[in-house]
Amino acid sequence: MGTFWRGVLKGSIGPVANDSRYLLDVHSRDLPGQKTMRRYAETDEVDLVIVGAGAGGSVLAQRLARAGWRIVVLEAGPFWHPDSDWVSDEAGSHELYWTQKRIIGGADPIELGKNNSGRGVGGSMVHYAGYTPRFHPSDFATFTRDGVGADWPIGYQDVLAHYERVEAELPVAGQDWPWGYPHRYPFSPHPVSAPAEKLMHGARALGIEMRVGPVGIVNGTFGNRPHCIYRGYCLQGCKVNAKASPYVTHLPDALAHGVEVRANCMALRVELDESSGLASGVCYRVEGEHTDRMQRARFVAVAGYSIETPRLLLASTSRRFPHGLCNDHDLVGRYIMVQGAGQTAGRWPEELRMYKAPPPEVSSEQFYETDTSRAFARGFSIQTVSPLPIGWAEHVLADGHWGRALREYMRDYNHWGTIGVLNELLPYPENRVTLASETDPYGQPVARMDYTLSDNDKANMAYSTRVITDILHAADAQDVLTIQRFAHLIGGARMGSSPEVSVVDANQRAWAVPNLFLSDGSVCPTQGSANPALTIMALASRLAERMASGAAMDDDPALRAGCTRAGVARLNGARPRVESRR
Amino acid sequence: MPDLSSPDHLPNRRPDGRPPHPSWLPRQRAGVSPQMIGRYPDYDVLSTVGTWDEATRKVVLARLEPPGPMRFFTVGQVPTLRAFCDTALAQDTDPRVPVPEMIDAKLADGKLDGYQYADMPDDRETWRLVLAGLDHTAAAGYRVARFSACEVQRREAIVGELAKGRLVGGPWERLNVTRSWSLVMRMVLAAFYSHPWAWNEIGFGGPAYPRGFMRRGTIGVREPFETPGATDEDPVRVVEEGQL
Repeated sequence: MGTFWRGVLKGSIGPVANDSRYLLDVHSRDLPGQKTMRRYAETDEVDLVIVGAGAGGSVLAQRLARAGWRIVVLEAGPFWHPDSDWVSDEAGSHELYWTQKRIIGGADPIELGKNNSGRGVGGSMVHYAGYTPRFHPSDFATFTRDGVGADWPIGYQDVLAHYERVEAELPVAGQDWPWGYPHRYPFSPHPVSAPAEKLMHGARALGIEMRVGPVGIVNGTFGNRPHCIYRGYCLQGCKVNAKASPYVTHLPDALAHGVEVRANCMALRVELDESSGLASGVCYRVEGEHTDRMQRARFVAVAGYSIETPRLLLASTSRRFPHGLCNDHDLVGRYIMVQGAGQTAGRWPEELRMYKAPPPEVSSEQFYETDTSRAFARGFSIQTVSPLPIGWAEHVLADGHWGRALREYMRDYNHWGTIGVLNELLPYPENRVTLASETDPYGQPVARMDYTLSDNDKANMAYSTRVITDILHAADAQDVLTIQRFAHLIGGARMGSSPEVSVVDANQRAWAVPNLFLSDGSVCPTQGSANPALTIMALASRLAERMASGAAMDDDPALRAGCTRAGVARLNGARPRVESRR
Repeated sequence: MPDLSSPDHLPNRRPDGRPPHPSWLPRQRAGVSPQMIGRYPDYDVLSTVGTWDEATRKVVLARLEPPGPMRFFTVGQVPTLRAFCDTALAQDTDPRVPVPEMIDAKLADGKLDGYQYADMPDDRETWRLVLAGLDHTAAAGYRVARFSACEVQRREAIVGELAKGRLVGGPWERLNVTRSWSLVMRMVLAAFYSHPWAWNEIGFGGPAYPRGFMRRGTIGVREPFETPGATDEDPVRVVEEGQL
């Protein structure tokens, strides 16, 4: 369908081949179908076992279940019952995060936990803010274009159809998008809250364009999913079912098509049949049990995200892979990335009450691409955010205030608005996940993540902080508080054109194990300055399409290597025009 | 009369970089706030409990139960813990949010944040070392038995040095001091600002499910249950200056 019709028919066209929105219950937030879910015996060899029921695993399961595959999903965390498990409260949401121990090192250690990792059915999208921007076409070839990062073995055009499909499933609400590959969104933009209005005003005064959205939050109704109630607790799990997560967008349909989600099951090893060289299944432990279980499968897909996926592969040692599965070239765990996510808050005379609205409101990708005048490669995006009191206290502390000064700033909470950035930090081999000597209660070594910023990263972060601070001053902010922080994880088992430089091929199939796929953010060679959720879902959707057709199992070396440059060239000649609409 | 539309009460905007004495704030008239001060004297978030969902109500109201007993920290560590929390949060009089007990419960239950710096011990061990370090610095600097025996200015001086990462000697040698400050403060702040009394002080709307918010667009528009910020006004001056 052309962009014209998509603009005219906004909201009235639902996604195809996904009935999740109708399967949800209007009166209860439990995942429908959990009680009647299909159960496979351990002796069954299923078609596919997936590790991780988050953005990547859930989309893959839903798609392939529709194609008739028999699927078991293993999830380390619990099956949520949002009515009773989730609360409208910051401190009470501790259970949503991956809080099992991890070690952080390097010159710039990255705080994990609530900041960037989830646990439980639905994954970290249960508590993501809701921003769902696409990557730009340039993200797929940063090495060719800008001499930094890496080229993907696929191009934007390979993912485009899946971006559109997932955007219709979430559904994404936002203004027409002028940046990257210009496009429209299936739902209209949400109304803008008071602090975001201030920030947009400041940006406009500086000639910086900001647009409303894009967020995976229902604006209107969508099947049995209600309109957002603007309560501001997106990061604590949406009790309304208005914010998209696999829990409401893909798992209901997956369960209706015979997928079994086995919760509280921690995957410990991908088992390898040494005679055939194929993965034979996944060994796991049910919480509270003392012996391992094993689920056999024809295909294995790992979707544990950038820390748990490398950890599982590294822990899966055998005679063939003494240093970890698929780790012949010491690449598993390397090139892990985070995004710089500094925030600056401004104070205004009026009460703005930033807690009233979803944290994601308006954003800009005007600084996304490389601009040589800035003296660093790649760029950043700008997004409004709105911390609740505990998040706001951490912001005030980071600016150097404690005791009476902190209390004074905290009492001023209702007068503040916050704007943040996402910096594209570049992939480096030294930034990596390894196994620490310490073990968890299952005897599995815990993950260690080392991270160090480069000069390009630091220059990007410093420049972007100046830009958002300028926006606050242009909006006549009376005082400014700044915090430097990081968000999101991506990379760690990247895709590429050959086994010497990557863990998986252009079809996300492991170079070293023919029936093993990775279906999460760990395969991304670069990250752009876009929030990763939508891209992880779109890549899983593409993978599912290719697994269902058999294309993903093709052994043709040229197909496995992909073809980045042709994809980019195709794109440059074919950019649709989208009129801006306010 | 202090004017809330001006930022003159904010430390960064004051010549000495220090906040004004809290006496400029009104006493809390509705409900409870820490030290009974706040900017929203007629706002009590607990008056909206009826609009909260059951799960949230249970979690939030549990914080109002009588605190303790201490399970993680030893009897010897508790006075230092209390003195540190009071100083770091400027809780100088009752009613106090029971931050020490909230931290103790979290550590006793092993509810940690999910990461540990490679150059730091376990969070629980870090807490014990920080308390021992405060006692060490108090003894070395002021010749008192422990941190809690220092007067307020000296406690503030020690905590100020901790915030700058400048404490050395004794237990501090086993810690990255800057990181241990951010680690303990993260827990202190999460406890304090999860308490409904602190929400009253700052005028935070609190839990909002299933009610939600309707009035969010136009600047300055409030929900029916929200009240505007206020200051402690001297009625004589207000009348004399014709502001009434």
